[in-house]
Amino acid sequence: MALAHAPAPASAPASQQDHPRLALVARIGAAVLGGYGFAWGLVAAATSLLVAAGMGFHDAEFLASLVGVLAMLCAFLWAIAARRLWRVWAVLAGGGALLAGVGSLVQAVLG
Amino acid sequence: MHEPAGAMWLLAGAVACAFAGMAWLALSMPAHARQVWGGEPPPARLRLLRPAGAAGLAASLLLCLRVDHATIAVLVWLMALSAAAMAVAMLLATRPHWLRVAVPWLRGRAADGS
Amino acid sequence: MFTTFRQAMAWLHTWFGLVLGFVLMAAFFFGALSVFDREFDRWAIPATRIEPQPMPSYERVLRPAFERMQPTRAAVDAMRGQVDGPMPARFDTVAYWSAYTTHRDPVVALFAGYEVPNARHAGEQIYAEATVDPRDGRVLPDDRLKVGSGFFYPMHYGLTLDWKNLGIWIVGFSALVMLAALVSGVVMHRRLFREFFTFRPGKARLRSALDLHNLTGVVALPFHFFFALTGLLIFAATYYFPLGHTQLHELHDRAAAIEAQQTGLPHQRAGVAAGLADVDAMVAQARQRWEDKGKAGDVGFLVLMHVGDANGYVSVYRAGTDRIALVGDGIHFKASSGELIREDPPATAVARMAEFLTGLHLQHFRHWLLRWLYVLGGLAGAVCIATGFVFFVEKRKRQHAARGSQGARVVDALAVASVTGMALATLGILVANRLLPEDLAARGDWEQRAFWTTWVLALLHAAWRSAPVALGLPNPAWREQAWAISALAIAAAVLNWATTGDHLLRTLASGYWPVAGVDLALLAVSAIAGLVAHRLRLRSRVRAAQAHAAEPRHA
Repeated sequence: MALAHAPAPASAPASQQDHPRLALVARIGAAVLGGYGFAWGLVAAATSLLVAAGMGFHDAEFLASLVGVLAMLCAFLWAIAARRLWRVWAVLAGGGALLAGVGSLVQAVLG
Repeated sequence: MHEPAGAMWLLAGAVACAFAGMAWLALSMPAHARQVWGGEPPPARLRLLRPAGAAGLAASLLLCLRVDHATIAVLVWLMALSAAAMAVAMLLATRPHWLRVAVPWLRGRAADGS
Repeated sequence: MFTTFRQAMAWLHTWFGLVLGFVLMAAFFFGALSVFDREFDRWAIPATRIEPQPMPSYERVLRPAFERMQPTRAAVDAMRGQVDGPMPARFDTVAYWSAYTTHRDPVVALFAGYEVPNARHAGEQIYAEATVDPRDGRVLPDDRLKVGSGFFYPMHYGLTLDWKNLGIWIVGFSALVMLAALVSGVVMHRRLFREFFTFRPGKARLRSALDLHNLTGVVALPFHFFFALTGLLIFAATYYFPLGHTQLHELHDRAAAIEAQQTGLPHQRAGVAAGLADVDAMVAQARQRWEDKGKAGDVGFLVLMHVGDANGYVSVYRAGTDRIALVGDGIHFKASSGELIREDPPATAVARMAEFLTGLHLQHFRHWLLRWLYVLGGLAGAVCIATGFVFFVEKRKRQHAARGSQGARVVDALAVASVTGMALATLGILVANRLLPEDLAARGDWEQRAFWTTWVLALLHAAWRSAPVALGLPNPAWREQAWAISALAIAAAVLNWATTGDHLLRTLASGYWPVAGVDLALLAVSAIAGLVAHRLRLRSRVRAAQAHAAEPRHA
């Protein structure tokens, strides 16, 4: 169950192998912070869209938080397992921001 | 909810069925059958134990549903299954021959197929 | 970082499981104890060792108690900074009075909120609490630490680390890691069904530890998964994803205003004084309405809003003792006239799912078999984590010894502290609870100090005795702390007898299970710990004999 030894697989950028500690921290950061940010965005979008669809606010809030917790779990696992770290950051941070934006937009539209 | 005394017996029955079901499922696996009887019973006998095990677990669920509201009954059943599986595993690890009592119709060394 | 998904999951499981495992041990262990939190309260506060009662009469018992309640001096002092002007001698504008009881509570918990005059923030409230004997309304000493519901339970969800809710966040993150560890564990465990019942204690430590780790993890997998998930859900909307008060607060406020309109339950006081009709009659009417709907039940929660005001209303909620859902089926009456304002409509599908998921975790139902099965599940989880630690150390200690690393030693010492050390700390607070003088000021604080001190001592002992691990040998601290657990558990039970006279024969004879149960559990713990210590000593003797026999003869 060892990590892949050097020589590094062709796909990994040279910088990751040069600074394994940094790569590890970046990976954990992506999983924890990126995962949380993505989950937050998903909860925002889901809550506001459910309210827009006619659900009561507290119901929407609960359902969205359920989705958020499960999404964070998936994001966390994916972030650890994914080959390319930059892709993880792009999807989690970028996707999270986009979803959060959707949430605020729908809130403004409903107001 | 039913009056306490009846409920207690039904729940005890549910736990017993869960235990029997788990024991039969375990003993349908050759490795565990060997632990309990020393030899391996003929495959025909073992094959019967698997559906028997499932039936035991189903009976357990039915008994749970007789006692409680559906939501609680399903929880009780799932937890009883976990407890039963744990108990069977612990018996297999410490006193495997005690599990012969769960399958009383299979006696003695199985090499002769009886 | 990893070549295969399985490798990645193995890494995740090992390292995140190790680090957060220490937190999860506490969450599982104190969670298991919290199933019987109110029973521990009875043991720890002998004055409350009475039988549970249904919600008592408002007129006879609750009203006099409510009228006597006022915020504590400490609460008043804390509020001083938020007020422009003098603090009143008495807070008489009551925002709400509420009374809460369950089928396991022999005492009723009273809560009150008062409006604060001249407060800087509009709507500022100050709070008071009291505990009363439901038979006569006598106020019980509130300064006693409720060791179960007031310590073990908060320990379980927040490590009693209240600063900025840091503890709740740490436990929350560990719950997420728990879910990840379960998924990754399943991915790693190739022979999940074939080894479902497999436990081989006779084999080498490494194999048998892994067997037990897999067994306790898999056999109760639905339990572990659902408890971590529902635990997170309980706090999700309030703490982890508080969008209703931040990004989406507009949506939230709009919904609150609409709800107030639809339900006809006034948000604010009218400013016009009004009397209070017969609350007991309202309660009786509520119970009748529940029975008519086929849901006869006890009152779990009684709330009086805007007391003394024309907008005042009384809400009666049903205790959820026979189903998973918590208090519900609220019926609301106009306070001044007693007329019915609203019967809560049946919950929406989502609300029912929410009630089910949270009620599954919070366990307000009356079902002793299911409660004990929950304890079993919690202990299985604790064993799973503990064997995880043992496996981690066993796998690495010889390699670490060979290259002079202290890693395995550190992990082993921390593992001892979080397994036997935590049990010792728990026994320490129970023993302190019985030994401290009854009239000691801030007795609860001293009890908590006893808990933390015992834990620190256990950690220091574990660290001191762990030197052999750095040589690839077992840590004697496990055995020594097991003996200590055995001794302390007996001591706690004996002290209960000595200080309250409620020995086992008496509590069993009178059927007072809360106290008898705790004493029996203490005796069982003592026996099991003693057995484990004995086994460990035998094993170390065998190993010492083998080592001696293998030693080359000296000149």
